[in-house]
Amino acid sequence: MTTYTLSIFTSNTIGLLNRITIIFTRRRLNIESLTVCETERKGVSRFTIVIRHDSREAVEKLVRQIRKVVDVLAVFGYLDHEIVFNEIALFKIATPLGGVPLNIKEINLDWNAKVVHWGLDYVVIEKNGTEQEIAEFYHYIKNWEILEYLKSGRVAVGKTEKGLVEYLPEGDWEVV
Amino acid sequence: MAAQTQTMTAAPKNKEPEQFLTGAQAIMQSLVEQGVDTIFGYPGGAIMPTYDALYDYQDKLKHILVRHEQGAGHAAQGYARMTNRAGVAMVTSGPGATNLMTPIADAMLDSTPLVCIVGQVKGNLLGTDAFQECDIIGISMPITKWNYQVVDANEIPEIIAKAFHIAESGRPGPVLIDITRTAQTDKMTQPFKYEKKVDVISYRPRVVPKQEHIEAAAKLINAAKKPYILAGHGVLLANAQDELKQFIEKAGIPVATTLLGMSAVDADHPLYVGWPGMHGNYGANVLTNECDVLIAIGMRFDDRITGDLGTYAKQAKVVHIEIDPAEINKNVFADAPVVGDAKEALKALLPLINTNSYPEWRAEFAKYDAIEYEKITKKDLFHEGDQIKMGEAVAMLSDKTKGEAVTVTDVGQHQMIANRYYRFKKPFSSVTSGGAGTMGFALPAAFGAKMGAPDREVVAIIGDGGFQMTIQELGTIAQSGLPVKIIILNNNFLGMVRQWQQLFFDRRYSFVELQNPDFITIAKGFGIAGHTVSDRAKLSESLDTLLQSDKPYLLEIICEKEENVFPMVPAGACVTKVILE
Repeated sequence: MTTYTLSIFTSNTIGLLNRITIIFTRRRLNIESLTVCETERKGVSRFTIVIRHDSREAVEKLVRQIRKVVDVLAVFGYLDHEIVFNEIALFKIATPLGGVPLNIKEINLDWNAKVVHWGLDYVVIEKNGTEQEIAEFYHYIKNWEILEYLKSGRVAVGKTEKGLVEYLPEGDWEVV
Repeated sequence: MAAQTQTMTAAPKNKEPEQFLTGAQAIMQSLVEQGVDTIFGYPGGAIMPTYDALYDYQDKLKHILVRHEQGAGHAAQGYARMTNRAGVAMVTSGPGATNLMTPIADAMLDSTPLVCIVGQVKGNLLGTDAFQECDIIGISMPITKWNYQVVDANEIPEIIAKAFHIAESGRPGPVLIDITRTAQTDKMTQPFKYEKKVDVISYRPRVVPKQEHIEAAAKLINAAKKPYILAGHGVLLANAQDELKQFIEKAGIPVATTLLGMSAVDADHPLYVGWPGMHGNYGANVLTNECDVLIAIGMRFDDRITGDLGTYAKQAKVVHIEIDPAEINKNVFADAPVVGDAKEALKALLPLINTNSYPEWRAEFAKYDAIEYEKITKKDLFHEGDQIKMGEAVAMLSDKTKGEAVTVTDVGQHQMIANRYYRFKKPFSSVTSGGAGTMGFALPAAFGAKMGAPDREVVAIIGDGGFQMTIQELGTIAQSGLPVKIIILNNNFLGMVRQWQQLFFDRRYSFVELQNPDFITIAKGFGIAGHTVSDRAKLSESLDTLLQSDKPYLLEIICEKEENVFPMVPAGACVTKVILE
């Protein structure tokens, strides 16, 4: 299985998320992660969708089907080495009285993570990184009691000198 | 009334807001300015304000009251297939809208332009499970080219213009606009302005192909020894039948038309070799796997055409001319893809193509034709039995109408037979439900086709099963008085399913025999004349009666009960594995 990251630029319209995800559902493709945000251009949203697939050909077909959606402006499929990508994870860790104390220095310096909230009997640690880095940190931090763990979907930019507007159809794209 | 609407449209800027159109009036005015002349519809609660506005627009917009919303959708499809303009259907919310889903799905698969205007509950009731509320945007999303919910009257002109633009351009398809009752009753807060020309920045289909793609395609075509063309619906949708004719005549290449492309080429043209696919012609199928260059024009390599993709045209280089880029390499790899409109592509290709003829290659088709004639055609048309065969009925109809009628077929055996034996002489003459295979399509679609092409003879050819799925549209036809000619090829079976059960399910006939009503009495009940024929000797005069009628007419032809349609490529089999008997 190869990981593909799809960057989908769309006009910002209601229901578009649904229109895009049904393309995956219909082909029985599981979405590994999904991130939607506004871009630096007014009215343009960006979907970052991660999927795993054996067949590059099938992914190319998928990309063309997504491009076909009327409100989609552009779609790109990337392999991991073609992009800079990251995720953000939050860990709520129990810090009860008498428990083994967290090694904050190690968390900061060795793991490049940080405590973002100090509760009475817990802390919230934020860890940025790739899925792999987050998984490794998970493995480390589970030595303490994990009360909650969650992570975002991937965000990714292509390793090219091009700006977003060069990918979009010709038009007056106003900067936000 | 007309004068009133004109002053409303030309509202001077300093007019009071009360002078502006309501959303409902804006819908009507938009349709008029778009050039729409016919609406197929059915009123109900959530669309009532728009029907009220329609009352004042009756001189400009012809509204056809169907008997079921599905009928409105299929009629709009029939209309669109004749005019190459979007058919318009207008229905209410909830069940009115859900009844429209089958025609929309059908139009999506067969690339038929439709604009469906659907009422929705009041804006403040959205999402509350209100009476006749239904998330029609959600339901129709996978089966529309585009859909949109209007909640603000001011949006109406722009959204309607966009709807027509999207439905009709590029690869045509169905568009649904869901309009809340509030958006219909509210007054616009700005003057009405309709601009037909729309630019949707995220949707700019390529019409003129890239020159380098044309050159690559021409190079392949010119180098071919055994080229073969498959012409699809895209040819008709692009109005490219003349360009196709010039192209094949210069290049000397044999051409087949797909089921949806049927009638794009004159059936008697010497280069015409029939149709490919499950019940297509013997040579047209087998030789797909012998040609060296396969030129697909405006078609999408549907599985009913390709059978087993693993063995399909593997020896051939493929030129694929197609307006929808998502179809390129979807099923069959294209060595020379040409993205663009069929008309523009053929125009650009023509000067680059060598004049040629392939007598030996064409003789191959003739060889298979001869076998097919011996094994199938002859038996269908010139048999000794007493019972009428579907094939002979269609062939006789074809002769009597000189191949110039529009046939509108439903789904099943009669559909395959009709397209097999009707010799289409004119383009835009076969209307059928291909991709979706929607039983019940033909009767309302035939009515819509007649509305779209009132000067042409329109003959619906329907099985006894499918006829009962939209039988209520006899009422619509009767009320209009339009001379739609209806033929039921009655074998008292769901014939195609029965054929499969016979061939592939060991003759276990599971729920395929029908106890049919007296169709003629039913037609009479609707005010439509008709008669039944079962005697072969009387078939000819019966067809004459049907064709000579200046009113709608129903002819029920009692056919041989267990007739099978051949040739047949079993589903998923290689196209060379043709069953002939």
